[in-house]
Amino acid sequence: MEQSGTSTRLAGAVQGLTSELVSALRSGGPFRLAGSVRGADGPEAADGLALAAVRVVGADAALPSVLHRTPPEPDDLAVFSRAVHAYPPPSDASPTSVWSHWAMKRTLLRLDASLDGAAGHDPEPQAAWLDDASWQSLTHQLAVLAPLAVPAGDSAVARVARGRPVDVARGFVRAVRRRDWLQAAGAGRWLVLLDDVPPTLGLEAGLDFVAQMGCDDPRVALQIEAAHLMRAGVRV
Amino acid sequence: MTSTRLIHTVGTGALEWLHAHRDGFRLEQDVDPEVGFLERFKPVGELAIICKVLFREGVAGSRQAQLARQLLDHAWRDTLDGGRMLVRGHRIEPLSPIPFEVYLPFRELGYSRPEIEQALLLNHRLESFAAYEVPPARRLGLSAFQRRFGLAPRPPESELVGTTWLGRTPEPWTVEGHIAYDVTHTVFHLTDWGERPDGIPDRLAGYLATWLPVWLDDWLDLARWDLLGELLVVDACLPRPTLDERAWEGFAAAQQPDGAMPAVRTMPQGDAEELFDLVYHPTLVAAFASVLATSRALTQLVHAPA
Repeated sequence: MEQSGTSTRLAGAVQGLTSELVSALRSGGPFRLAGSVRGADGPEAADGLALAAVRVVGADAALPSVLHRTPPEPDDLAVFSRAVHAYPPPSDASPTSVWSHWAMKRTLLRLDASLDGAAGHDPEPQAAWLDDASWQSLTHQLAVLAPLAVPAGDSAVARVARGRPVDVARGFVRAVRRRDWLQAAGAGRWLVLLDDVPPTLGLEAGLDFVAQMGCDDPRVALQIEAAHLMRAGVRV
Repeated sequence: MTSTRLIHTVGTGALEWLHAHRDGFRLEQDVDPEVGFLERFKPVGELAIICKVLFREGVAGSRQAQLARQLLDHAWRDTLDGGRMLVRGHRIEPLSPIPFEVYLPFRELGYSRPEIEQALLLNHRLESFAAYEVPPARRLGLSAFQRRFGLAPRPPESELVGTTWLGRTPEPWTVEGHIAYDVTHTVFHLTDWGERPDGIPDRLAGYLATWLPVWLDDWLDLARWDLLGELLVVDACLPRPTLDERAWEGFAAAQQPDGAMPAVRTMPQGDAEELFDLVYHPTLVAAFASVLATSRALTQLVHAPA
């Protein structure tokens, strides 16, 4: 019961954080990670919940700073950094979990000028598990790792995606057909960054369609907003 | 790569079932006028088309060829009463293209009924016949059948391709079941039921090569066997068929031991006639897909490096 209550509170915290991120991406206004997630059981519990929520959202918890190219406040960066260090992936973690954590560390390096890119430089995890993935499985994995889809965000995962634009486009179609809006939104965010996407896909309208159909879920809205901003950035 | 034996076996099973249930190809002489006498012609025409494909592709064994010939003879002699039923159908609905569409494959296979040909020639002169309102993929089929009859198609097929859904290469994520059937039939008409794979314009062949794998994946998982079979025909019509292993294995696994192919998920219940009406089409499609894919698999074998 207690565990179930905790996961409900965590889900609520993730939803709240994601909704605030969506608002910040839409408005272009300031976003404060510190204090953006509040719990009901006192400061300590709220703090733990906030960190856990940041870890679940992953590198996207700093997305407004990355996409709007605005430096984060020191205390926001401190929250992000604490989430990175509080939840290292266990030794038996799935590749997506390892990569999600790596994406956070890389984002931290990118945003924290004081680190100057020198400290804590981790080697990239392996992406071999994607090499033989079917287009269906590839798209599913990429959608889970959508926080890696950022401008100039080179990684072994991004290199796999860049080599298989038709497969990712097929995965987008499959996800839309199956009404899996979250996967479609994540795949669509990757596609914005890829060259040689078949023009018959109709990506721009496709992103709007996914946003319209999946609008109840802030996680979908977050991916679509990211995709739109990156598209606009590409055009500038 | 999908086993050619597996693909071939789907077709032999389907033809055995169609032959064993050939009495299901029947007309209803006393049909309710609201339903229409011509409604039951469609299965007979489809049977003739598939049998023609089977003879044409030359991949049928001697037993299959014999079953197909017996099926055609049965349909022509018994069901259509030597073509008299087509004439009767035409007299009930003179402007309907259905009797002519059913007649064409029989004519191409050597059967003949001169009255129906005379009627078609007269209809072909009518503005009303050219103006007859039908969906774009069907209109493309009507022009194709006029060409095959030796008439100048009205309108020409080249003018019609762009009016179909496929011809406009729309967003592939909008496809639903009825759109997918429009796509398959556009391909059937463009290729004369797989006879001329190069009848698909390059632009459309490229579009299909990109997106067909998604649709195969989708309708396989939905267990929509009738539509999956038609999509497997489309695959076999492309310049480089994939002969998708997962789709073919799923399709073959859905087939019943007696060769019947359910339309959706599992076999329906019903008396013999009801069952025939629900199952004949996917079973015909299974025979069609099997013959074309077997033929393409053998072609790939011939062209493969030694």
